[in-house]
Amino acid sequence: MRWPMIAITLMRVFVGWHFLYEGIAKLSAPAWSAAGYLKASRGPFSAMFKSIAAQPNLLDNVNLITSWGLTIVGVLLILGLFTRLASLAGIGFVLLFYLCNPPFVGYFYSIPTEGSYLIVNKNLVEIGALLVILTTGSGQFAGLDRIVRALFAPRPKLATAR
Amino acid sequence: MAGEDEQGAKKSADAPRKIDRRDVLKGLSTVPALGLFGYAWQTQRKYQQTKAEEAAAPPAAPKDLQVINVALLGAGAQGQVLTDSMLRIPGLRFRAVCDIWEEYNQKRVVNTFRKFKHDVNPYEDYREMLDKEKELDAVIIATPDFWHAQHAIDCLKAGKHVYCEKEMSNTLDGARSMVLAQRETGKLLQIGHQRRSNPRYLHCYDKLITEAKLLGRIVTVSGQWNRALTPDLGAPDRYAIPQARLTQFGFKDMHQFRNWRWYKGKGGGPIVDLGSHQIDIYSWFLGANPSHVMASGGNLYHDPATHEWYDTVMVVYDYDTPHGAAKAYYQTQTTNGSQGYFENFMGDQGTLLMSESEMNYPGTLYRDPNAPAWDEWVQKGYVTAPKEQETKPKSEGAIADVRESVSPDQHMLPVTLRDPYHQPHLQNFFDAVRGKATLNCPAEEAYMTAVAVLKVNEAVEARAPLSFKPEDFKV
Repeated sequence: MRWPMIAITLMRVFVGWHFLYEGIAKLSAPAWSAAGYLKASRGPFSAMFKSIAAQPNLLDNVNLITSWGLTIVGVLLILGLFTRLASLAGIGFVLLFYLCNPPFVGYFYSIPTEGSYLIVNKNLVEIGALLVILTTGSGQFAGLDRIVRALFAPRPKLATAR
Repeated sequence: MAGEDEQGAKKSADAPRKIDRRDVLKGLSTVPALGLFGYAWQTQRKYQQTKAEEAAAPPAAPKDLQVINVALLGAGAQGQVLTDSMLRIPGLRFRAVCDIWEEYNQKRVVNTFRKFKHDVNPYEDYREMLDKEKELDAVIIATPDFWHAQHAIDCLKAGKHVYCEKEMSNTLDGARSMVLAQRETGKLLQIGHQRRSNPRYLHCYDKLITEAKLLGRIVTVSGQWNRALTPDLGAPDRYAIPQARLTQFGFKDMHQFRNWRWYKGKGGGPIVDLGSHQIDIYSWFLGANPSHVMASGGNLYHDPATHEWYDTVMVVYDYDTPHGAAKAYYQTQTTNGSQGYFENFMGDQGTLLMSESEMNYPGTLYRDPNAPAWDEWVQKGYVTAPKEQETKPKSEGAIADVRESVSPDQHMLPVTLRDPYHQPHLQNFFDAVRGKATLNCPAEEAYMTAVAVLKVNEAVEARAPLSFKPEDFKV
């Protein structure tokens, strides 16, 4: 089980790195807004995404949550801290990005893409990666979760109680 | 979970869990990745900052900058444009403004200069200005075309360096005498083909065409300047110039003074007013002067009583370039401004679509699918990374024929001009006055463009192809 866990840890660091830079790039660009991406929304959920872009106050919160959220999730994934929570949050973010412009049959996405996708795109692949990270608890193998658990995990009662 | 963790869990079943060395090492094992990220991000930020600083405003003037005494001759629309640019250039002291429209233009520009703390003396007659303003180093000429030759020659002979707006002159004789006067006096004469100093055009010529040869062999060129209808400029009666002064300076009446570009003998028509800028670029980028010209044009729209010049001209030039034959199309029309102005150079390896108007044509390069990869030039920052062309048909139901060429990759020009269009060209002139640069458009160079451009009006008249001899371009 050692090598698979090392590979999964490496994958966790890569995914975390990607989240972190996506977040930091948005935070350090003063004019960044999700409005462009939301307005270009296609597919069955586009009405909802477009309505977010149309409400300035809501949009402002969405911008804040997205940029800080991505940054924090990125740091947590790299460090392997609260890995399950971070993976879940990451899945949530990417799922929204995916649904905003899904490569479904019959929908085209106006922003030029760098590849060819049908239903599965890189967002969905990243969701898959996060699912692996979520279910294998890679932070407890190599990550701060290991220390956190050692420090705070309640003493297992099962064996001692009997 | 991991096997080792299961072992750890078994151990802790009996005793309180303790953190051992292995826990600490493994727990912290991915922290260096965060450090690595920090390093990568800082590097990226520094790179972006340097790029941004390079693109920002020009640095402040060095303390030992030699001050140049400047006069403006011709304070009309173009004189104002040049003034706005010159006021952004450090190391200039403006001494005089000369314009025959004392009642309006002269006052306006004098006030502009005074607002910027330049104490300028106003003149109506340029000869009086040259007599009185002995300390002048340079004169900027922005008068109507038919005055250029005499103004420039008299200023050169008075020992001044001259920046003269294009067209050099409305006649070849005038242009030739300017080149001769420049040679005789040894003073500088820069002609206002301002694209010659534009960093975007210099990048295209020096880096993309000459060094990287991204276009391969340029075989065809096309370009245009479409301008919307220009109304009669007019002038309120209270600002009218007395008829005696108008006659003295060669104008029939106030209408002709205001709209001199419409009249033969005053300007050269749209092919000169607009086309000259771009045909100058054709010859520059192709590295040759044209060998033949065909042209069709006419006054299709306007009243010939007020518009003596053609409003529409379409031209085809033949070139024998150092790399082979080339043909260049140019059109200018002044009845509809859509699609504006641009130049389009098409070689066997790539295309450059370019315009001074960066807003409308930011500079686009298309790599022909058969051409060698441009990765090296993308890495060097000569062009941006490519955007792949959309392979889907543009309109619903349109079908691409299999015999059509594959769409080329699209790259963008990475250079931006953040100053007014004329500022780099004026800066180049003043640098040359200080002996720190050579002129980007000296008289001989502009003369060749004048030969190529003025011939178009002849060709329209002749309704037949005309040829150039190589010696036509020499003085």
